[in-house]
Amino acid sequence: MTTLLATANPDTLASRVQEMIDAGRIGAARPLLAALRRMGSGSDHSKARIGGLSARLLAREGRLPEAGAALDDAIALLPEDGNLRKQRAELRLQCDDKIGAVSDAADAVIFDRTDVGAKALLGIVLIELGEYADAIACLTEAVSLQPQRSIFRQALAQAQECAGDRDAATGTLRAAIALAPSMAPLRTALMLLLVRSRDFPAVIEAGEAARHDGAADACGFGLLGHALSSLGRGSEAALSYREALKLAPEDPYVRHLVSASGALPAAERAPTDYLRTVFDGYAERFELHLVSLGYRVPGLFRAEYLAHPPVPPGPVLDLGCGTGLVGLVFADIAPGPITGIDVSTSMLEQSAAKELYSHLHEAELESFLDSNTQLWSLILAGDVFCYFGLLGDVLTRVALRLVPGGRCIFNVELSADTVQPGEPCQLGANARYHHAPWHVEQAAAQAGLTVRSIRREGLRTEGGESVPGLIVMLERG
Amino acid sequence: MSVEAALGHLHSGDTATALRMLDAMSPCADGTIEAARGTVLLVAGRGEDAVQAFRAALAAGDNRPATLLNLALAQQSAGDMLAASTLMRRMAAAMPSWDEPRLRLAEALRASGDKAGAERAYQQVLELSPARIEALIGVGILLMQRGDGAAAQLPLLRACSEMVQQATSQPQLRAEAWDALGLALMQTSDFAAAEGAFMRARQMAPARLEFALHAADAARANGNVAASLAAAEMALDDDPLNPVLHVLRGMLLEHAGCRSDAVDALEAAVALTPDAPGPNAVLGGMLARSMRLREAERALRAALANDPGNPRCCNDLAAVLMRMHRPAEACELLTDLISRIPAPAPVLCNLANATASRGLQAEAVALAREAIAMAPHDMLPWRTLSGVLPYASETTITDLVDALRGCAAQLQRGTTPASVIDPRPHRRLRVGLLSGSLRCHPVGWLTIAAFEALDPATFELIAFALNAGTDPITRRFRSRMDGWHDIDALNDTIIAERIAAEKIDILIDLGGYGDNGRMTVCARRPAPVQIKWVGAQYHSSFIPEIDWMLTDRWQTPPALAHLYSERLLVLPDGYICYSPPPDAPDFAPLPALTNGYVTFGCFNNLAKITPVVIETWCRILRSVPIARMLLKTQQFSHPETRERVHAAFASHGVTQDRIMLQGPSQHRAFLGEYNKVDLVLDPFPYSGGLTTCEALWMGVPTITLPGEFFAARHSVSHLSNAGLADWVAADLESYVAQAIARASDLPRLAALRAGLRAHVAASPLCDAPRFGRNLGAALRQAWIAALQVSDPATIEERAA
Repeated sequence: MTTLLATANPDTLASRVQEMIDAGRIGAARPLLAALRRMGSGSDHSKARIGGLSARLLAREGRLPEAGAALDDAIALLPEDGNLRKQRAELRLQCDDKIGAVSDAADAVIFDRTDVGAKALLGIVLIELGEYADAIACLTEAVSLQPQRSIFRQALAQAQECAGDRDAATGTLRAAIALAPSMAPLRTALMLLLVRSRDFPAVIEAGEAARHDGAADACGFGLLGHALSSLGRGSEAALSYREALKLAPEDPYVRHLVSASGALPAAERAPTDYLRTVFDGYAERFELHLVSLGYRVPGLFRAEYLAHPPVPPGPVLDLGCGTGLVGLVFADIAPGPITGIDVSTSMLEQSAAKELYSHLHEAELESFLDSNTQLWSLILAGDVFCYFGLLGDVLTRVALRLVPGGRCIFNVELSADTVQPGEPCQLGANARYHHAPWHVEQAAAQAGLTVRSIRREGLRTEGGESVPGLIVMLERG
Repeated sequence: MSVEAALGHLHSGDTATALRMLDAMSPCADGTIEAARGTVLLVAGRGEDAVQAFRAALAAGDNRPATLLNLALAQQSAGDMLAASTLMRRMAAAMPSWDEPRLRLAEALRASGDKAGAERAYQQVLELSPARIEALIGVGILLMQRGDGAAAQLPLLRACSEMVQQATSQPQLRAEAWDALGLALMQTSDFAAAEGAFMRARQMAPARLEFALHAADAARANGNVAASLAAAEMALDDDPLNPVLHVLRGMLLEHAGCRSDAVDALEAAVALTPDAPGPNAVLGGMLARSMRLREAERALRAALANDPGNPRCCNDLAAVLMRMHRPAEACELLTDLISRIPAPAPVLCNLANATASRGLQAEAVALAREAIAMAPHDMLPWRTLSGVLPYASETTITDLVDALRGCAAQLQRGTTPASVIDPRPHRRLRVGLLSGSLRCHPVGWLTIAAFEALDPATFELIAFALNAGTDPITRRFRSRMDGWHDIDALNDTIIAERIAAEKIDILIDLGGYGDNGRMTVCARRPAPVQIKWVGAQYHSSFIPEIDWMLTDRWQTPPALAHLYSERLLVLPDGYICYSPPPDAPDFAPLPALTNGYVTFGCFNNLAKITPVVIETWCRILRSVPIARMLLKTQQFSHPETRERVHAAFASHGVTQDRIMLQGPSQHRAFLGEYNKVDLVLDPFPYSGGLTTCEALWMGVPTITLPGEFFAARHSVSHLSNAGLADWVAADLESYVAQAIARASDLPRLAALRAGLRAHVAASPLCDAPRFGRNLGAALRQAWIAALQVSDPATIEERAA
């Protein structure tokens, strides 16, 4: 016979709740916290402790405002508790309340000047505020007091890089790696720093060292692949991407890169997440990059549009508008207001800054065409369909959203080497699809669109070579 | 101070105060105080002291029958069953109209395991007092234990109704009655009524753990888990400090398929009652089922600390230790258990497995055969024998085939076997994977790259997975799968129904008769085409419902094909595709070049290292006098195991300084140890599998001696597939000769090692795209064969 009654005392129960929250085991923490509340003695200390734990739990569950309120109540009960202040500083940082976070972190330091964690936290918060010199001072002190804490060194490196001292940042990360050679995040941080410096040989060296020491995670292998690829070492990059995929199999970006290397069966189109990942990280330098590549697509679209009789007046849809380069060249000739859609928030921000679009939407192209029933006079798709394999479905969707007489201008890439005879398309090593011209025509016909023109052009320059493609104009009859 | 006041403390549960008060009283002439002391001591579980107290009371002149009966109870408590039952019988004879001595006798007999005697005594009580509730419950429980749930329900129902009529105020007794009735109703599959009975029991005794566990079982059987869970959660809102409700919620969550949440709920129960063994025992069992072994060990040890020797906990802990590759500790626990209680067959099976893992193969086979003799119609002993036989040198192919046939014969078959629904030969097929090992496990390392490379346009993959965690291989499986079913908490019938409901065309079993294997599901034929692949693939399954065995020409050459019940689906290269780990260390140059001596190695499981293998290795080591050998396996963490293996080598003239025995390491460090090895000697008859592939990846080739059954030929397949067929020995003499010869040609070994990783990477062993195409063709072949038409074009026409 087993009769069970609760025998735990509030202190052990509170520690257990804390352990469970730290371990991410919300399912165990939540009922124990309820039990602790029922057990609570009613003292200020007890209430504040329960408040702090509740706040942690709520924050873990993503309920940040409620967590903030719980912490406010707890701090009102124990205003000089440094741990509660640190906790609120972290929470405020998560809520983008940088000023509040600095205030709490500074209070935590004042309440306990020996609390190294509080000093480091203050440093981290100061980075967010852009106060890099102060951040460096706090973090340098934290590192000197607890040299083994690699997370402090990582934060210090970030502060140094933000302050423009990449050499110091590199040195800090290398020292951290020497102290904790098995910590993959440090290796990744160093590689990212070197990527931002565009020092690809150093990235490769750091990546190889990480691999050799068994400290390369998926991100490390991915960055190694990126560096190898940037230096034209494609087959080695492919191997590195394959290793990255083993460690991050759910990452669509890496999967797409591996598919492009031919090691996996290719999907019908590049995943939306891939595009978002690529372009979100790339937005700042995108235009510069395209210009440096001799990017001609927007200009070719404009020329093609002007070479034909005008379309019926009406709104224009720019699919995959990116940073707004197509909008830029159509601003003075468009038959109506231009709406842009893209999956990348950063890209859309850049488009918005150009003030050329009447509307911008963060949306996936096909879902947008499915859900938005508006008809358009002109639909533009610059460098978009190279992320689609077969074009039948997407062109059918486009056809449904064109007014009679409306047109669609888009481009695809060609490659005589990679598209096998009889194959409609093939995923190239650059992770873009190459299309056979016959497939473009067939897909257009299938969608009920007439080909007004199809012209072979050089789209941009890569490695001194012109990348061949087609500029296509279709019309709804 | 009075005797009544002291007994008042006893009734409120404070035995210490009661005893202190009685001890402070002066002895009285009629023995009343001594009798009261005896009662307190009896309740406190101090049987022997109670006997002394009652004897003193009787000697002082207390001649009340109750005191005499209490003496009998104290004797029973002190373990003197003979004296107790004799006294009870004497009292029953002396006072034929008093039912109490008979009832106590019945209870004592039941407690001592004399069920027939107990039942007779209960019936005598009921003849005297037909409404005696304890007797009604006792008879009901005994009938239930005999498996006669229907007959048990009558006295139990009567007990419940009598308690209402008598308005008894003993809630524990009433709860016992309702609980027993619930169990009897479960036996007759009257699950809804059982659930109701358990609910009554829980209302009367909300702190009783067993009642909650029974209630959870009934809810599951009654298909009422969701509603019961909602009710438990509402109850917890009102009473969050009740650990039993947390346990109930945990069990219901597990039945609902949410094992991780279930574990968390049980953790809450444990945190609330840290010293109670029950919640820890339940938690330990659940963690073991979840393969969270370290946590399971901790919980079970915590349970045992508060309930030492609990048989269930000992057996569960032994099973956990086995899975943690600590068989010596498991053996110690099980041997101790068997010395204390009559061991049921499952305990013997556990012991057999643990014994094999210690490298005592013949002893393991004997234990498994003993278990079969005890329970010849249970599958577990047959499965155990099938599992341990491949390790033993003495095993003949006939022994193994007989054991596997015996195992297959015990499997329950399905009533509605699946058949082909859509007979188009070239359509996209739905392929199911059934396994408890879709993770960092040999099954994972040897199959994941193949599934990743299988064309998604022609094959949909749906996993039916047990114990799937979040390790990188599981995540790779999850990423490739088009559908995923966690089937941990489901029984075989439901799993088979789910596979059938998913309209799986081809089911691939990746578990076999191993731990967490589900051949029991395959035997129900949930898919029209069923294939055995990696995962306890010792040999043929001999299950008629398994149509094909995925193999290659080295695993199953034509001369051995007759040893299989399945048709052989022979792949053009090897039968597996190895996916090397991304964190594998770099390989080092041949260590012999710097050491000045050759180091042979074997990193296989100790279960594979038989006395004959050790004797053979010693022949080699005696012929290469300065050579050493590095053996590395989990079991060598145990000092006595190391001593025993050293002694075995020493008995063949190889001294301890030449044999290095290493315990477990993390996987990367484990691979790194190959940098100390020049060449591997494969064990036999059970050869290395994944171990051989890993050694190759680290630049170390293996000399192998193949046998007849499937598990005796893994290394032949992997070596041949990697282009090292010349490392396969034809017989024992050639195995020895080849080892000696290769150890003497260091330049050749060094050259081979330098290029081996690149060579293996480029070979079919690791060529995933090539394997994916071949696997696709093989699956298509099996599918088309199932359509029973030789010309696919004809089928296409017909289907169109």
